[in-house]
Amino acid sequence: MLDKKLKWIFNTFSGSVFNTVISTFCIVLLFFVINNLLGFISNSEWAVVTENRRLLLIGRMPQEEEWRAWSILWISSFLIFSSLKSFISPSKKELTFIFLIVMILCLIFTTESSIFKVIITLMISSFSYLLTKYISDTPIIHKFNKFLIFLWIFLVPLVFCLLLIADGPKPTLWGGFLLNIILASVAIGIGFPLGLLFALGRASSLPAIKIVCTVYIETIRGAPLVAWLLLAWFVLPKFLPEFWGLNDISVVVRAMIILSAFTSAYTAEVIRGGLQSIPKGQIEAADSLNLNVFTKTSIIILPQAIRVVIPALISTFIGVFKDTSLVFILALTDLLQVGRIIPEQDPEFFGKALEALSVVAFMFWIVSIALSNLSSRVEKSMGIGTR
Amino acid sequence: MKNKSKKQIGNEIISTDNITKSFGKFQALKGITSKIYEQEVVVVFGPSGSGKSTYIRTLNRLEPHDSGKIIVDGVEITDDVKNLQHVRSNVGMVFQQFNLFPHLSVLRNITLAPQKVKGLKRSDADEVAMNLLKRVGIPEQASKFPSQLSGGQQQRLAIARALAMQPKIMLFDEPTSALDPEMIKEVLEVMTELAESGMTMICVTHEMGFAREVADRFLFFDEGLIVEEGTPDHFFNNPQEDRTKLFLSQIL
Repeated sequence: MLDKKLKWIFNTFSGSVFNTVISTFCIVLLFFVINNLLGFISNSEWAVVTENRRLLLIGRMPQEEEWRAWSILWISSFLIFSSLKSFISPSKKELTFIFLIVMILCLIFTTESSIFKVIITLMISSFSYLLTKYISDTPIIHKFNKFLIFLWIFLVPLVFCLLLIADGPKPTLWGGFLLNIILASVAIGIGFPLGLLFALGRASSLPAIKIVCTVYIETIRGAPLVAWLLLAWFVLPKFLPEFWGLNDISVVVRAMIILSAFTSAYTAEVIRGGLQSIPKGQIEAADSLNLNVFTKTSIIILPQAIRVVIPALISTFIGVFKDTSLVFILALTDLLQVGRIIPEQDPEFFGKALEALSVVAFMFWIVSIALSNLSSRVEKSMGIGTR
Repeated sequence: MKNKSKKQIGNEIISTDNITKSFGKFQALKGITSKIYEQEVVVVFGPSGSGKSTYIRTLNRLEPHDSGKIIVDGVEITDDVKNLQHVRSNVGMVFQQFNLFPHLSVLRNITLAPQKVKGLKRSDADEVAMNLLKRVGIPEQASKFPSQLSGGQQQRLAIARALAMQPKIMLFDEPTSALDPEMIKEVLEVMTELAESGMTMICVTHEMGFAREVADRFLFFDEGLIVEEGTPDHFFNNPQEDRTKLFLSQIL
């Protein structure tokens, strides 16, 4: 072990002179960055974050509705941590990393009033992880995994139920990080299957379907998301029929519609790239075996096409997740908007923009890094049968 | 050789009447009229670009023909989906590039079509597949993926996959051309066994040793036409056409 480390150090600094110079330079740079970062963290006043914890996480949702957010958090942490072992099986290094991040989050967001609930969250998380670790060798695990997949599929509807049942707060009061997560999940959950259909439609041999799909994709991709959101703000209600009060739908739903449409167009193009990478022989083989169109598409073509484009797909999803912060255009207060507004409008925290925004950036970073790790995992696990 | 004299040639199962096919300006088939009989093994050969691959690919409509008439197992091949399904479920095909499904296991490559097309239960399909894998000599590879097999094993798997649909006719489109020399033999052995079992086969191949031993009839293609046809003896001892003589002298 020690040998290895010594060798690493030796390899870093030996070799050509150029190599040594570059390595030394990088280490000095790294030292300064870390030094400044630690200085910033210890010298700043984090009250702007800790005092506004609720705003950052759930926006302007009233205090008596907070239980909804907590139950969502508990369900998700149960899901995430019980899926870890079965679907990701993280190494020790990764576990340490996850532990560190959770601890940092707790440090940032725990206050005296919520410490009890935070402890419950931590207990649920560790309990779910240990439970799956304990039963991972028993036959129950298969049933449990099926249950998990089922829960994952119905997570978004479940979250909606939790937010809406028993006379929940108006959707316009949803905000903060919760809003980003909800919008991104809906956009991906609806946009991905739609995108799949549009990609197949664009590759279709039927001219009518092909034209409709192509026009849709190119129109949506042709204008910036901001423009579409503004359109949703001003114009969308006029396009919707009057019955059921459809023309008066909440801005949150409008944001969901636009984000889903946007995601579907981008996803469609990514998947189309994958479809084109399928060798003609695969389709000929499927035809010669007399497979029908549905089997041919769902079992032969799509699994291979999607596998090729997983990195591009996940990076589209990460983009969508970050784009959800643009809903401030619809006067919604998402995480970024909260982080921007507090230091501007609350006299107590004037000029604390750097602290607030760095926490906002950190939150976005966590989700993005988790998604990109997930992507490399999925790639590896799907790589078994590569040619 | 020994079985050939005993072999009964049955009724007509494929007939093509003056079929043509063009790719843009290039006319690949210029009017092919042929008849194939049940249990017959027909070897199709000829120079590259002569239309031999196109010919056998029109027989299950991987290439739609432009004009003429193709009747397979009593059904004419047209755009009609029902007819096409009947034909395709009775015609198996083996490709030069194997065209196995790389993301499915060896077993699943075979069981997919019987399960999805014929509605076989999983356990029954698995049994059929294992028997076929034994027949082509790779039962121990069942749980691997195609990329983990050698070229010869992959092509044998492709033959097993086609056989799983219990076709009446097997088409082979240059099945050994993409293989390393030492793997050709194992594939030809499987094909020989298949021929001896009485399968109707049309093979595009330049393996003349195999062709001479197994084939009942040769079709020599050149420039989109059948230039000469006859028994292997006829071709090896007494070819009539100059083009046939020239081509044979080049490949033998």
